[in-house]
Amino acid sequence: MMTRMVLTCLTIALTGGLAGGALAQQNKTEEQRSTYYDSFPGKKVVFVPMSMGFDLTELWAAQMRNQAHDLGYSFDIRDPNWSSDAGSKAITALITEKPNIVVVQNLDVQVYARLLKRANDAGIKVLQVNMMSLQQTDSYVGVDYVKLAEREAEALVERCAAPNAISHKVALIYSSPTDSGTVFHRAGWHKVLDAHPEIQIVAEQAANADPSKARGVMETILQQHADLCGVVGVWDGQDSGVGAALQQANKTGQVLMITSGGGTKEACDGIDRGLYGLYFSYDAPRIGSLLNEQIAELLQSSAGAGTTKVSYYVPLTPATKQSISSLSCWRLEQYNK
Amino acid sequence: VLLETLTRIRYRWVPDHVVGELLTKQWMDNAIPFAALTAIGVFAATAVPGFFDIAALPDLGRQFAEFGLIVLGASIVVVSGGIDLSVGSVYALAVLVSLIGLDVQGWSLAQAAAATILVGIVCGAINGILVGYLRLRAFLTTLVALIIYRCVYEIIFLHYGISIVGNSSDSPTLEALAAGAVFGIPISLVVTLSICAAWHVVLSRMRQGWRLIAVGGARRSAFNAGVNVRWTVCSAYIWCSVLTSLAGFMNAARLNSAGSDTGIGLEVTALTAVVLGGISLGGGRGSVPKALMGALFVLILTDVLIARAVSGPTSSLLLGIILLLAVFLDIRWLKNRHKLLHKVYVSPTYLALKTPASRVSDPLSRFALNDKLGAATAIGLGKLEGPEDVILDHSDNLYCGSRHGDIYRFFAPTYQESEVYAHIGGHPLGLAFDRDHNLIACVCGMGLYRVLPNRNVERLTDETNRTLLSIADDSAMRFADDLDIAPDGRIFFSEGTTRYDVSQWGIDGLESRGNGRVICYDPRTGKTRTVLRHLVFANGICMHLDGQSLLFAETWACRISRYWFDGPREGQIERVIDGLPGYPDNINRSSDGHYWLAIAGMRSPVLDLALRMPGFRRRMARRCAADAWMVPNLNRGFVVKFSDEGDILEVLWDRNGQKHPMITSVREHRGVLYLGGVHNNRIGAYRIPEADQNWCALDSYWKKE
Repeated sequence: MMTRMVLTCLTIALTGGLAGGALAQQNKTEEQRSTYYDSFPGKKVVFVPMSMGFDLTELWAAQMRNQAHDLGYSFDIRDPNWSSDAGSKAITALITEKPNIVVVQNLDVQVYARLLKRANDAGIKVLQVNMMSLQQTDSYVGVDYVKLAEREAEALVERCAAPNAISHKVALIYSSPTDSGTVFHRAGWHKVLDAHPEIQIVAEQAANADPSKARGVMETILQQHADLCGVVGVWDGQDSGVGAALQQANKTGQVLMITSGGGTKEACDGIDRGLYGLYFSYDAPRIGSLLNEQIAELLQSSAGAGTTKVSYYVPLTPATKQSISSLSCWRLEQYNK
Repeated sequence: VLLETLTRIRYRWVPDHVVGELLTKQWMDNAIPFAALTAIGVFAATAVPGFFDIAALPDLGRQFAEFGLIVLGASIVVVSGGIDLSVGSVYALAVLVSLIGLDVQGWSLAQAAAATILVGIVCGAINGILVGYLRLRAFLTTLVALIIYRCVYEIIFLHYGISIVGNSSDSPTLEALAAGAVFGIPISLVVTLSICAAWHVVLSRMRQGWRLIAVGGARRSAFNAGVNVRWTVCSAYIWCSVLTSLAGFMNAARLNSAGSDTGIGLEVTALTAVVLGGISLGGGRGSVPKALMGALFVLILTDVLIARAVSGPTSSLLLGIILLLAVFLDIRWLKNRHKLLHKVYVSPTYLALKTPASRVSDPLSRFALNDKLGAATAIGLGKLEGPEDVILDHSDNLYCGSRHGDIYRFFAPTYQESEVYAHIGGHPLGLAFDRDHNLIACVCGMGLYRVLPNRNVERLTDETNRTLLSIADDSAMRFADDLDIAPDGRIFFSEGTTRYDVSQWGIDGLESRGNGRVICYDPRTGKTRTVLRHLVFANGICMHLDGQSLLFAETWACRISRYWFDGPREGQIERVIDGLPGYPDNINRSSDGHYWLAIAGMRSPVLDLALRMPGFRRRMARRCAADAWMVPNLNRGFVVKFSDEGDILEVLWDRNGQKHPMITSVREHRGVLYLGGVHNNRIGAYRIPEADQNWCALDSYWKKE
């Protein structure tokens, strides 16, 4: 009787203890979950792109909006429409408005520098996407343009320094002289090309991210240098104009066109049509996912704005007409809920 | 009857005339921009929480400092009659040169500022020489300059862009200029506001500013007036570019950055601000406060649009629409302001006149017609124009005014010879001699004047106390009409209307509102005070023999009243005659202790009825030409003698009105009645039977002691 009682008690105690342990375990998970979900509502994230209305910014905005919707924080866009003046005003206003995070795609490496520092000082976490500023903030997610440019230049050298090349002439097309794409591309291109004195840089021009201007620039270069061997640009959105000029002049076979971009369906079509000879994709949806990850992390983190400064450079995938299957070409519709 | 009562009440309590008076105000030009600015301010405060937050204001101030300077520059050009489209490119060049100087070349702040302003001077001088001296079209020239300067910018920028980025300086002085503040006000804003204050003085009070406005308003007239038009135009462009380049320098200091979009579209934004501020694109009209209001409006609007997350193209579209709207409003306003004013300024009111006891054509009437004045002889026939009042001195010399601003003297006893006794200007109306033989004159359009016995002219007063809460500034005297002098030397004089000038007295009659007043000037203190207001065309003034009261006529109300300015009844008014058959003018004493009254025009039943129908008269004023309006019958000469009880003692007519129509003054002197008329070319002399042949009016005032 006694033993039975003891046994029963033991069993009860044991099962109870076991059950209690499982319960505690469950509570802890629950706590972690609620900490996660509770850290988002009422928070505010604002995106200041270079401009809305083109593939990359529309994609990222859609991705960020989707996550904001799921997690219950607010997401706003302040569109400067390519105007650094409007962008400065927007960030200036945000400094007083004090959202939790500002996601900035810098119009150039310098124009927001002071403002971003002020934003950090005011306790706003600043996430830079794809176009970096000289002012480092909490996080940068995007392309390592120097590395990208080096790989582009190497491809150019491989083609145009070859003894059987039509000439050693290459052209470099920038966007705006002070945007980060241009500044770092230029550094990378020159680093490689300057080491190859046989390569002759016949033109270095800025097309201000405008495909029609790029087309005009390329047409002029082709008139002056009919035997051009290669041309490299900083961004597919602009360089579609360069490719169009080459196609118009029937030079796509002779001139190697190298560019880079987010890997949209349009870019893939461009590669397929021979608009771009070599295309480096930095997988824009991946950048968007990383952004969302960073946003979630920064919103949960109790660390002060600007205390840790991290970067994440996305991997690059080169593609030609032959290797186009290596790209996962995306469409904006896939992300617009 | 009920309807008429309603009409009376409506016109008694609704101040129609205020609308017109508001429109005459110079600041009405500012009213629309100011209302717009207030509206956008309220909108910003409600739509964007914390827009006017203390923390946000310095940033707004810094933006305003830069944009305000550009708008000021653009306004100067627009005021001078031109347009400068190149501001955006000049601005970009200035930013670039500042950055090259500060970051690449390592210049000091002063050197960089000097270089930047030099850029402004050069760009402005090119524009100025092309437009001012070579007289090319401003629009095309500055459009080309916009492109050329932009190209220069892009060439230099491509060359220096990377170096600027690579060498960004963090000099403390630059930082101070960018972020520093004086008593919480950003330094750049202090600089801008000082420049604006200086320019306000220049534009409103100095030669350079007046010349700019003159050239902008009427280039040819300015040239004819001797203004150096070419240099004035050229200088406007130089100033515009200099101010723009200074703004560029401030921006370079603040953001330390130039981009390929720097200054793009700035010319449109600046012009929007200029036009929104109410500065007319036609030139010649504008002020610094207007420019600042416009700049603030555009700045707040763009900031609000960005803060409200309106997409870039949409906000550009909105700004464009607002510019169009502003240009449209500006043109409509300029074109129609005076038309509108003309339409609404005349605002007739309800006036019910007392019906006369009998018609003048009735032989039994106390006003029955005769033709006694037909016997009057003429003085100064053909020499005179508009002797409204007549007066004679102790030596029987006759004085009268003329519409050319002269006081004539006709010599006794024949009154054939005359001379210009004094020239005052305006149109001298009422006349009186004071104790010291000074001739006091009410000069229409000028005020109260005095001619000393040595013929020197002195102004006594042209300003009275302003009525509290009146829209129109009624402190100035537009229509000093008749006067008389109290025994203690105080001068009481009437002002017919405060709303119209001498040539427009007929329009005041159409209104028949109490626009007139009686004013007192006290030579002992030099003070001028309005003593009676809301008189329906205050006209004749005559001292009562008791020395404590005066009689005054209200022309459009057809009545004579007595006002006590002294004694036990001080301040009281008593009606003496109401319902005269005509419109009374000047009153003067007669030798037998009564009063002569000139009646300038005759009433008619139709006009009397119209006076009770203000809406009808307003339509008449708006739709008919002035020469088709109903007016009193002025083609009669009519003089009345009355006692201070209001009894009519004698009636004199010039029945046909051929010699002396519209008699505005009668003056008895040694048995002769002298007749003046504000539109007549003569003075009449009518010998009064049985009058005291030695009575001189001056003696009744200033008895020899």
